[in-house]
Amino acid sequence: MKNPSESKKHKVLIANRGEIAIRIMQACRKLGLAFVALFTEPDKHSEHCVLARKLGGDESLFRVSSYLDANEIFAVADQAGATAIHPGYGFFAEDYRFARRVAQRERKLIFIGPSWQVIRELGDKINTKRLARKLGVPTVPGSDKPVTDDLEAENIAKSLFEFQKELGVGNPVILVKASAGGGGMGIEEVPDLDKFRSVLRRIKSYSKRQFRDEGVLIEQRIFDFNHLEVQILSDRTGQNPVHFGTRNCSVQSPGHQKRIEVAPGFDPSSLRYAFDAKKVIEDITEYSLRMAREAGYDSVGTWEWIVSPTGQPFLMEVNTRIQVENGVSARIAAIKGKGDVDLIAEQIRVGLGAPMGYTQKDITLNGVGIEYRIIAEDTDNKFAPWVGRITSFGWPEQDWLKMHSQVPTDREYEIPTDFDPNLALAIIWGKDLAQAKERGVEFLNSLTLQGVNASGEAMKSNVEFLKRKTEGILAF
Amino acid sequence: MIDVKELLRELREEPYEKISIRAPHSGKVEFVAKEPGVRVVGPSGTWKEVPGTLLARLERENVKKPLHAPQKGEVMSLGEIANGQFAQAGQELMTIRHYLTREEVISRILRRSLSLFLAPEKGKYYFFPDVDIKIKTKGSQSVHIEDGMELFILSRMKREASIRYSGPSGIIYAVYFDTNDSVERNSPLIGVCPEDQLGQIQEVVSRVQSDWEERD
Repeated sequence: MKNPSESKKHKVLIANRGEIAIRIMQACRKLGLAFVALFTEPDKHSEHCVLARKLGGDESLFRVSSYLDANEIFAVADQAGATAIHPGYGFFAEDYRFARRVAQRERKLIFIGPSWQVIRELGDKINTKRLARKLGVPTVPGSDKPVTDDLEAENIAKSLFEFQKELGVGNPVILVKASAGGGGMGIEEVPDLDKFRSVLRRIKSYSKRQFRDEGVLIEQRIFDFNHLEVQILSDRTGQNPVHFGTRNCSVQSPGHQKRIEVAPGFDPSSLRYAFDAKKVIEDITEYSLRMAREAGYDSVGTWEWIVSPTGQPFLMEVNTRIQVENGVSARIAAIKGKGDVDLIAEQIRVGLGAPMGYTQKDITLNGVGIEYRIIAEDTDNKFAPWVGRITSFGWPEQDWLKMHSQVPTDREYEIPTDFDPNLALAIIWGKDLAQAKERGVEFLNSLTLQGVNASGEAMKSNVEFLKRKTEGILAF
Repeated sequence: MIDVKELLRELREEPYEKISIRAPHSGKVEFVAKEPGVRVVGPSGTWKEVPGTLLARLERENVKKPLHAPQKGEVMSLGEIANGQFAQAGQELMTIRHYLTREEVISRILRRSLSLFLAPEKGKYYFFPDVDIKIKTKGSQSVHIEDGMELFILSRMKREASIRYSGPSGIIYAVYFDTNDSVERNSPLIGVCPEDQLGQIQEVVSRVQSDWEERD
């Protein structure tokens, strides 16, 4: 594998915070690249600042007013002599306008992520759906463009009810969404065609009022599904994508935020499924690669799938970024027999223009990985974030355990209130599902995590929730 | 009732406020007020639409952001950064010595006389939409609040929660936080004056107005 630092001395600006900033720094070090990190006032005690200073000295850390001020990020990039920007996840990661600016500004930089055209193409759910349908990839049944005509809407609704009846769904339900809406606004469930007409009218007028747009999307509502992902990587040629297997992200909070991710996505070797799970995994992987090839995908990315209880997969969306849970796929992967894969380092390497250097047959997957997201939250009270100070945090080292965290273990830490209260990612490996689960529980039992809030109350975390959910992992 | 005379005496002993001018974001700094002793003025006009004295410019991505004096006063000292250097967000550029105005003295004294409602948690605070509209259109003193009333939205960690007011009924006499600023726990959010004490508060205000001299 050619190291990008051999051809040109690159310096990567890390436009992110917390554990992902730490992982990017470590990946840069692995590749022999210089980096510059950012922090804002509330993050000044984060471990990512400590590590940036330790690895790169004071000049590798800049204080900014916000992680979302593009002008400021560029000013720091110029001042520090950065040649590339890694957006991490969140913030600017999937903002094609930002990626375009990075590539087209006066002093050009490299965006470590897909090219802006790819982000624009696949960042739009309707575009993605159209591309999928063109390639024969199944998507959640429903409209593939905003519908404004009532008759057309009714025909789509009718066909969706009939389709579900054919599938044997007892109580079919469809969703009517304001196409310009988002974040759960302007969505209603409809159980039959009679109710559909009144809901359609309501959503249309709501949408017109709120967004000055009458378009609606009509989709099948899929119940009790599993949420799977396919991890894709491709170099800048966009022609030779490979996959690093699947993940199952079905353990979520009530707000649909992921809490446990498992690789691979199903385990037919130890569990019984009502469908051919091996085939589902093969199918969604093949579909994802087909789309990546067609779109000229040129970075890491994730294809997100819904799998129905009858084993039917539907493409939900494409995430054109490195994801929080990338490490769990990396943990079970080996390239040319060499384990300890680092997908972030791979993303940087190919992002800077190095060729992939291996093909699908060089990638092997071994064992089961579980990732726990350890979060300060009250799982008995709608998963409300817990605010306070962590007084002790630690765990026994294990060769099957990897921890990623911005929370220091050698001093107290006030959780910043400006961001999600995510504390750590714990990635556990086992030779099979049973061993991974056993080690997972062992880890959770041995974890020290204590804190206190301003009223003197003890810390609340999701550790017990994670323990409880471990038993049923991958069962469907 | 508070001792206005005593408070005024205390304030007269130290009638200045030291204002630290910090870089609002990172960028290359170009000083306009280049040495200590320079007299500056704050924003003026009916709606404070005329900016104060230009102190410096901060450049990022070919955009120069002007930094104006927020108050009247005199440049006391310049920060450790030299002209043309790159300032990081939050870095001190200079300090200004500001002689307290009547309004500020009133505000300081009222903080001790009004019933303060403190931030129960650290986070960003917003008024409930209907209260917010009323404050923006008619001013905070048009809003009457009562114990138990939903008054604030607390936003932290990307989640929102509603906060009920607890304390005596009255009008919102003063607002002590800015939208989008992170407020520390136990910092005052608002100062409330029960309607039957309005007279006393007005008295404090007129007392200060006659006793405190403005300075150029």
